[in-house]
Amino acid sequence: MLIGPAVLFIVLLVGVPLGLAVYLSLTNATAGSLTGHWVGFHNFVDVWNTPNFRTALKNTIVFTLASQALVVVGAAILAHALLRPFRGRWFLRFLIVLPWAAPVALSTIGFLWIFDSQFSVLNWTLVHDLLPGGGHFYLYKPVNWLLGGIDHLPFVHAGKVDPLNPPQWLGQETLAKLSIILVQAWRILPFATVIFLAGLSSIPAEVEDAARMDGATGLRKFWHVTLPLQLPIAVVALLFGIVFTATDMTVVYVLTNGGPFNSTQVLTTWAYQTGIVSSSLGEGAAVSLYLLPVLAVIAILMLRFARKVEVS
Amino acid sequence: MTWSAIRSHGLSYLIVGPFAIVLAFPFYWMVTTALKTNGDLYNLANVPFKFTTTKGDPEGHSPTLRHISFIFHQTHYVRWLENTVFVGALVVVITLVLALPAGYALARLSGRLGQSVGVGIFLTYLVPPTLLFLPLSRVISKLGLEDRLWSLVLVYPSFTVPFSVWLLMGFFRTIPLELEDAAMMDGCSRLTALWRVIFPISLPGILTVVIFTFSLCVNDFVYAISFISISSNRTLSVGVPTDLIRGDVFFWQSLMAATLIPSILLALLYNSFLNRFIEGFTGGAFR
Amino acid sequence: MSKDDELEELGLTGGLTRREIVRKAFGGFVVLYGGALTKTAAAAGVPKFRHKELKNTLRIIQWSHFVPAYDTWFDGTYTKKWGQAHDTDVQVDHINLALLPARAKAEVAARSGHDIFGHLSPQAGLEDSVINHREIVEEVQHKVGKVGKVGYRSCYNPKTKKWHGFPENFVPDPVHYRKDLFHQVGVKSPNTWHDVLVAAPKLKAIGHPVGIGMSNELDSNMALIALLQCFGGFIQDAHARVTINSKGTREALQFMKSLFKQGMTDEVFAWTAASNNQGYLAGRLSLALNAISIVRSAEAQNPTLAANTALLPIPAGADRRLGLEHVMGVYTIWNFTAKSQQKLAKRFIADLESHYAAAFKASKYYNFPAFPKAVYDYRKRLGADNHPPKGKYRILDTIARKYTANIGYPGFSNAAIDEIFNTFLIPQMFAQVAQDKLTPAAAAKAAEHDMKRIFAKWRKIGKI
Repeated sequence: MLIGPAVLFIVLLVGVPLGLAVYLSLTNATAGSLTGHWVGFHNFVDVWNTPNFRTALKNTIVFTLASQALVVVGAAILAHALLRPFRGRWFLRFLIVLPWAAPVALSTIGFLWIFDSQFSVLNWTLVHDLLPGGGHFYLYKPVNWLLGGIDHLPFVHAGKVDPLNPPQWLGQETLAKLSIILVQAWRILPFATVIFLAGLSSIPAEVEDAARMDGATGLRKFWHVTLPLQLPIAVVALLFGIVFTATDMTVVYVLTNGGPFNSTQVLTTWAYQTGIVSSSLGEGAAVSLYLLPVLAVIAILMLRFARKVEVS
Repeated sequence: MTWSAIRSHGLSYLIVGPFAIVLAFPFYWMVTTALKTNGDLYNLANVPFKFTTTKGDPEGHSPTLRHISFIFHQTHYVRWLENTVFVGALVVVITLVLALPAGYALARLSGRLGQSVGVGIFLTYLVPPTLLFLPLSRVISKLGLEDRLWSLVLVYPSFTVPFSVWLLMGFFRTIPLELEDAAMMDGCSRLTALWRVIFPISLPGILTVVIFTFSLCVNDFVYAISFISISSNRTLSVGVPTDLIRGDVFFWQSLMAATLIPSILLALLYNSFLNRFIEGFTGGAFR
Repeated sequence: MSKDDELEELGLTGGLTRREIVRKAFGGFVVLYGGALTKTAAAAGVPKFRHKELKNTLRIIQWSHFVPAYDTWFDGTYTKKWGQAHDTDVQVDHINLALLPARAKAEVAARSGHDIFGHLSPQAGLEDSVINHREIVEEVQHKVGKVGKVGYRSCYNPKTKKWHGFPENFVPDPVHYRKDLFHQVGVKSPNTWHDVLVAAPKLKAIGHPVGIGMSNELDSNMALIALLQCFGGFIQDAHARVTINSKGTREALQFMKSLFKQGMTDEVFAWTAASNNQGYLAGRLSLALNAISIVRSAEAQNPTLAANTALLPIPAGADRRLGLEHVMGVYTIWNFTAKSQQKLAKRFIADLESHYAAAFKASKYYNFPAFPKAVYDYRKRLGADNHPPKGKYRILDTIARKYTANIGYPGFSNAAIDEIFNTFLIPQMFAQVAQDKLTPAAAAKAAEHDMKRIFAKWRKIGKI
């Protein structure tokens, strides 16, 4: 049948290694060999009891949801704005596609330089006089004013920018987490925008015409026609954005390698650290497998939601 | 131009402009960095947005092209580009061959079976390469493919196919059954109906799959570093960090240049593809 | 009505016929694919024999040396000459330092890989996958004398009596400091850590903080473990018992917290291995604990800075003066390598080590042989270096002989030490204290808890 080849391929190349991974997680294998003694669920329990693992689990969920929330909202807005032709649209779209076109390992290295502890261009811009000629404008002053305002809100504590000791985008725990979330959102945004664009442009003309004939324009049309039709495609975009972010190791590995003091570890980097770098293969496999239920739950929930919308 | 036309265009610029600036700024920064001499780059007293030449700088005048020419003459950069394109192109073909029929069948398959198979395919995608690369290394060596690009060509579809199947499913579902039925009533067989009617309409979906698949291949790092160790056989994502980061010295200018080249090329490519089908279809839909 | 017209009616072709769409889409595709295909022959694989006349092949993988000239010498001169003499085509592949562990594990998993794998730290965790390198060690000892203590304690497992690696070279770790700046603040030199603490606030005040990293990277790991040693804190004792929770450790933690608050900035928590190099080379940092990659880079980029840089052994702490090797070059041979290849590999390694003078010179004195007598007359060679101030590299000899320990001193570099090192538990401990997240006592206790767990695990498998 038509599905046959695809299924066979996946079973062989994903199913078999997956089986081996499950097997490994149930043994005490070290990276010295691919076999070990059976330990049952001991690895899973052991791993769960490590504080670094729980941090990794929390971070995986937080980073993924935060970055993808930004992505979906941004992509929806951007896709609508890009739908109709206007002068310069080709060029602007080219600029927007760049983050996604760049190989992720390389663009993240680029961010390493932008966030560098000594040479960060962001810090330079914040701290130096931007109008040396006569005006004297320091960007950190209005930023600190804003941060001071945020400080007045409950539950939120924002520090201040100290020109002599500028923010460490990758060295201070909260800033490091923020940096990772922003880089993930940055690289996935174009991808999601394209999915939205493709979805929007495949809305058949009769639907548009019908809506217009019914007198629906502007906001009403958006709410009752465009949005529901967009929902399935939005769900696809969100779903894959979540998968690409949650299963990604490169961004965290390159930017912080889990630091400062293991506070930005995510499941993928922690699994790598445990299984490969520390040679505890069984434990590493167990950590990785914790990803599966997390993602599976999200995926199934979203698919149910999409199904409901589609039917209506 | 009518007032509403100006208003909608102005709105577009207002929205798209800032996004474009934020998204593209790192690339502007890469260009600036790539052209600086060491003396200019590592000098904290310099304004980073300008090029400053210091006297006695052993590399001479800043901006300079020497760090860019470094990657072309002292590393296997061009080979890496070729390898990446080779692998990407082949994987795209394989993915389309596998995913098109599967996507179509799943889209037309109604009921729980279709759904569960679909979900099943998707779930296997959730196992990350950082876990699979060890058992897969064994498979690759058993097949005698280590250090060869064919190992990547074999393994990459494992993560491109599920995604593509899903995407195509979504696209095929939006094509109403009536179109096919109408074609078949006109006397076409199912296959001909597919080719003459469904296929052209789903071209946006197919082109999207092409772009996304290629992008997934270019981005892979874990498999590429595990299966291939010979420098000239490497792909871009692996070759660049390996040869341009030596111990504790980062060749930042060369790294930036090495990132810019494929990014710009791929962005141009993707953008033209997008141009092709979106413009064509939007023009029609909003007549 | 033809199909084309129907679709036109529906506005679904955007003015192009079906054929045109298909053609255009795949046109671009074929161009790409065709271009790539022409490279198929080259891209498809590695020709087994580059020169048909050579009988054997030997495949080596090691890091991209920070001194590019060393790789040029090794790949282009030494291996070619050796290859000719032994009828062998020697192929050398390079890899990033950070990616060595993953690559090694992949080769083990694949049960196939390079004949010689060059690591940058002792790999006790891979013991089960490598041969016993005793034979090579004994041969070299026979030729040039005993292996140094650093090499011995790094690559030998006393429990299993196995040499799990061949110690090829180690890199001594001096302290780099700015003579001119220290003079400016009235401190003669960073002879003791107390001197550093005295100078640091003054140096920070003039915009030149000291630079000791507390981040998840190699330099921080090395510097902090060495600092611990100077204050009498050790991860384990000579019998592989965890001793991290000690007075010495607490004192070191307290010291580092003071040093950070008075003389450093927040950047040290975000450093990569390159950061202390870059900070020093930019003229900003006044002190750094690093291999000579810093001063060598300065000689190329900023000769004035290099002339103002002096090298000394690690400052003395309350307990002693003792540093670590910055990296240790260890060669391993997998036990699944064919016997004939193993023989060839052993020959190569033994030959390289027995005549180490050329490698020593090619690496610009970065690589010190693990068998000290493989090079004679260190002081004369080091003194011959022309960069001003002349003779400054001679101190490396003193450092290598007296002030360099292995990781895990006073014990051996076993698999548990390996894991503790690779998971950055020491920088984590220091960073938490410096950022006031834990008191020294609490941090030492937490580290002890984590480390005991790791030791127990490896002990259970019988490796300790």
